[in-house]
Amino acid sequence: MFGGKKKEEELDEFNIHVARHRPEELAKLAKTTKFTRKEIQLIYRGFKQECPTGMVDEDSFKNIFSQFFPQGDASQYAHYVFNTIKHNHTGKISFEDFLGILSKVSRGSVQEKLQWIFGLYDLNGDGLITKNEMLDVVTSIYEMLGRSTEPQVDEHSAKEHVEKIFHQIDANKDGVVTIDELVEWCSRDEQILQSLDTLDTVL
Amino acid sequence: MASVAAWLPFARAAAIGWVPIATHPLPPAPIPKDRRKADDEKLLINVSGRRFETWRNTLEKYPDTLLGSNEREFFYDEECKEYFFDRDPDIFRHILNYYRTGKLHYPKHECLTSYDEELAFFGILPDVIGDCCYEDYRDRKRENAERLMDDKLSENGDQNLQQLTNIRQKMWRAFENPHTSTAALVFYYVTGFFIAVSVMANVVETVPCGLRPGRAGTLPCGERYKIVFFCLDTACVMIFTAEYLLRLFAAPDRCKFVRSVMSIIDVVAILPYYIGLGITDNDDVSGAFVTLRVFRVFRIFKFSRHSQGLRILGYTLKSCASELGFLVFSLAMAIIIFATVMFYAEKNVEGTNFTSIPAAFWYTIVTMTTLGYGDMVPETIAGKIVGGVCSLSGVLVIALPVPVIVSNFSRIYHQNQRADKRKAQRKARLARIRIAKASSGAAFVSKKKAAEARIAAQESGLEIDDNYHQEDIFELQHHHLLRCLEKTTDREFVEMEVPYNGQPKRPGSPSPLASPTHSAASHPGLLHACCGRCCGQRYQPPF
Repeated sequence: MFGGKKKEEELDEFNIHVARHRPEELAKLAKTTKFTRKEIQLIYRGFKQECPTGMVDEDSFKNIFSQFFPQGDASQYAHYVFNTIKHNHTGKISFEDFLGILSKVSRGSVQEKLQWIFGLYDLNGDGLITKNEMLDVVTSIYEMLGRSTEPQVDEHSAKEHVEKIFHQIDANKDGVVTIDELVEWCSRDEQILQSLDTLDTVL
Repeated sequence: MASVAAWLPFARAAAIGWVPIATHPLPPAPIPKDRRKADDEKLLINVSGRRFETWRNTLEKYPDTLLGSNEREFFYDEECKEYFFDRDPDIFRHILNYYRTGKLHYPKHECLTSYDEELAFFGILPDVIGDCCYEDYRDRKRENAERLMDDKLSENGDQNLQQLTNIRQKMWRAFENPHTSTAALVFYYVTGFFIAVSVMANVVETVPCGLRPGRAGTLPCGERYKIVFFCLDTACVMIFTAEYLLRLFAAPDRCKFVRSVMSIIDVVAILPYYIGLGITDNDDVSGAFVTLRVFRVFRIFKFSRHSQGLRILGYTLKSCASELGFLVFSLAMAIIIFATVMFYAEKNVEGTNFTSIPAAFWYTIVTMTTLGYGDMVPETIAGKIVGGVCSLSGVLVIALPVPVIVSNFSRIYHQNQRADKRKAQRKARLARIRIAKASSGAAFVSKKKAAEARIAAQESGLEIDDNYHQEDIFELQHHHLLRCLEKTTDREFVEMEVPYNGQPKRPGSPSPLASPTHSAASHPGLLHACCGRCCGQRYQPPF
């Protein structure tokens, strides 16, 4: 008698306000991104299958991402990746945003890719990567590994990793990494540039 | 996992964030041995005359089912260029939707056993039924199993009961379920009889039988036949004490037993007797002793072990406390209002009974519950009017909350049952998710080991099995992604400990007596005549 009202409000939340979104024309997308029509068709079909409303919010994004890393917890890394995709104030990404980023990151130029990587690590967007920001991202990467690895992951693994690598990237030792230092670091080795390409996907 | 295959390119693209911090260079991307046709083709499936069409890739999402593996080739009809299945087309619709959406739904109007048979035929495990339909499915399954179990029990009599290891467990079971053995039944009736005898004795004790010798007034039977009643009381208490001690001995968790309501009632029922033995016939203390005898009436609560209804009543009263509280509160409000008005209306009457407001409370209560003893009656006109209004409103105030409480009883009762069901299902769902994660993680490790073995075999020039090029391009790239993660962090994935013996087990599910075993048993040839890949996860008799 005294506590019945709350249930109705809770139930209302479940009737989610579904915003439909229709993406731009296929031909236009094929022109603005580096994918062919057939590839865009395939990608869209899969996208719409997972998100029938045409918009992805952060939770489903984390969910989808976690399915690729079953042994660990990919939600924090997914959160950082989600933040690099420019979305409007609704907090959801549309197919165009998704395709735009995909095109830039998997088939863009080395400069574009490195710029995206910089944006990933630069959590507060001030144009500089501090050691703490790198530590956060590296921790999230280690979280994706999970428990059953050899050698095991503990709380210090990420810290050690960052200690080892940060001062190598930070060429002028001023405690922050700028985009130029990152570009310099990644271009130093032909193998690293090749690594950037191996992560393209054949559809 | 296959339904998110379209997001794999994104996951791989996002992985270039690992490049700056990678401890080792990332491995090269996999090149598929033979590039599969880029175009997907549509397959025609004819199920008892109804035609379904779908993409080949849709079916191949689940390679360990009939439609997703080579097993479907057995059903290929060369002349019509279609796959023909002589099965139920209505249920097939749901099965095909499973491939399309990744969620298997259970239609409520279908018979559970026929649905299970179809699932068994197409090699789909019932675990993958979606959460929306899972509750229904499990309920029906449990009903089915219970019905079968009842049938079996009535056929075989009591032979099927599990053998209990020791005397303690046997005793406990005998106490809890009297109908399991004759000794238990005898014990049950004997204790019931003695409870009744004890309660009757307490009642009859106070009946007047004859006159008090030498004094005015009647003599209660208890004092006339003191010895008889004392012997009766002693016998009952001995039986109750023995029963309590036996229960205490047999209880699997003694602390919990001692704290339970029934055991407290038992103790309260027999304690007055022992205290009475201890107290001598002292006048000072006998007053207290008489009070103690009141507690003997608690023996009647011992009947709740014998009556299911009494237990349910007690439980529902406990869970309906807020509604009862509301009833009491509203009554109290009404009583205070009417008593106050009554008092001020009647206080000036000479020789009135309404001497104070609390005195008027009694009148109000008696009137509102329509008892009307007549020991207090209003004299003034105003008082009579108020009295009339009071009795009319009494009916309303009492009658209104009662149906609400009654419906709340049943609602709360069913809700409690549903809450328990939901808890069990949540546990089962989490377990399923854990197992799915474990199996996909394990799949990666096993594929990795297989790849290493293949490379080793290649290097040593041995003949290799040509199953490799069957591998899905997406799977290849997914595993490449995980290998990149390994190289970035300088770790290696190893076998995860799988916490089950090969078959997902659900908590609280009925014992394996369900009939679908018959259908599964009748197609052993088909179920096992598949390619070597789909071994462990083949459909097995459920739960």
